Amino acid sequence: MTKQYRTREGEATAVDTKTQLTTLGSQTAPGPLLVPMGVTKLMEMIAAAMANWAAANDCAGLIRLEGPGLPKGPEVIAAGAFGNSVATGGNAAAPAKKIPLDVDVTPGNEILIFGEMVGEDIGQVSFGVTLVFA
Amino acid sequence: MTKTLTVEGDVNTADTRTGLTAQGSVTAPSMKVPEGVSKIDKIIAAVAHDAAADGSAVWILRLGGSAVQKGEQVIVLAAGGCIAVQAGSDRAPSVCQTFVLEDVDIDVIPDIITVDAEMDGSDLGDSTIIVTLIFA
Repeated sequence: MTKQYRTREGEATAVDTKTQLTTLGSQTAPGPLLVPMGVTKLMEMIAAAMANWAAANDCAGLIRLEGPGLPKGPEVIAAGAFGNSVATGGNAAAPAKKIPLDVDVTPGNEILIFGEMVGEDIGQVSFGVTLVFA
Repeated sequence: MTKTLTVEGDVNTADTRTGLTAQGSVTAPSMKVPEGVSKIDKIIAAVAHDAAADGSAVWILRLGGSAVQKGEQVIVLAAGGCIAVQAGSDRAPSVCQTFVLEDVDIDVIPDIITVDAEMDGSDLGDSTIIVTLIFA
C-alpha cells in the first residue's frame, strides 16, 4: 500500500497550553484532517519544531494526536527541546525527524493535532507535523 | 533504476506557496517524471534562512501536479527560529542539516510534477530550499 501524507502547522505561544495545529501556511483553513479512505495505519509521524528564543529559558515540545480517527485513544509524542541563556541573538534551524509508528486509524474520521511548549516559557515554538498513512 | 530530480528556489514570504522551479545554472529544468519509474522513493531536502526578522517557522514541501496519483502530498521539512541580537552584536549563522526521508512510497506516473514550498509561521526573512526527489 502506498503512503499518503497529511500536514498541519502552527505556533504554541503559552507554556503548558494545548494548541491545535489547524493551518497549512497559505491554506489558512484547510479543514479537518481526515484519515484517508483505504488505509488502516498511521505508519509514521514527521515532525519539526523550533523556538523563537525570545526568553532565557528552557522547554520541550510535544505533539498530541486525538480524535475519532484514533479508535484506541490519543497518542502523545516528544518533538524536541530548546534552551538559551540570554534572550538575544538566538538563531537555529533543524531538519524534521521521521518517527516510526504503528497506530490503528479509522478511515474518514478526523485526527486533531495539538502542539505544546512544556517546561518553561521560551516565547514561541513553531510545530510542523506530517501524518503518514498506509 | 534510480532517477533524480533536483530543484531549488527562494522562499521569502511567510505563508506563501512558492514554486521550486530552478536548478542553479539550469534555470528551467524539466519537471517531467522520468519514464520507467512508478514511485518517489526518497526525498532529500535542505533549508537555510537569513534570520532577517525575529520569530519561528516551519518549512513544508508540496508535491503535486498530474504526475502525483493520489493528490497533493504535503510534508514538513524543517523548522527555524531567531531573535534579535544585542546592540552592536552580530548574530551567529545557523546551519540546518539535510533532511533525508527514505521509503517515501508516493505513486507517480511519467507526467509533470510540481514542487512547491512554504515558510509557515513567522516571516524569518529570506530562505533557500533545495529538494531532490529520487524515483524508483
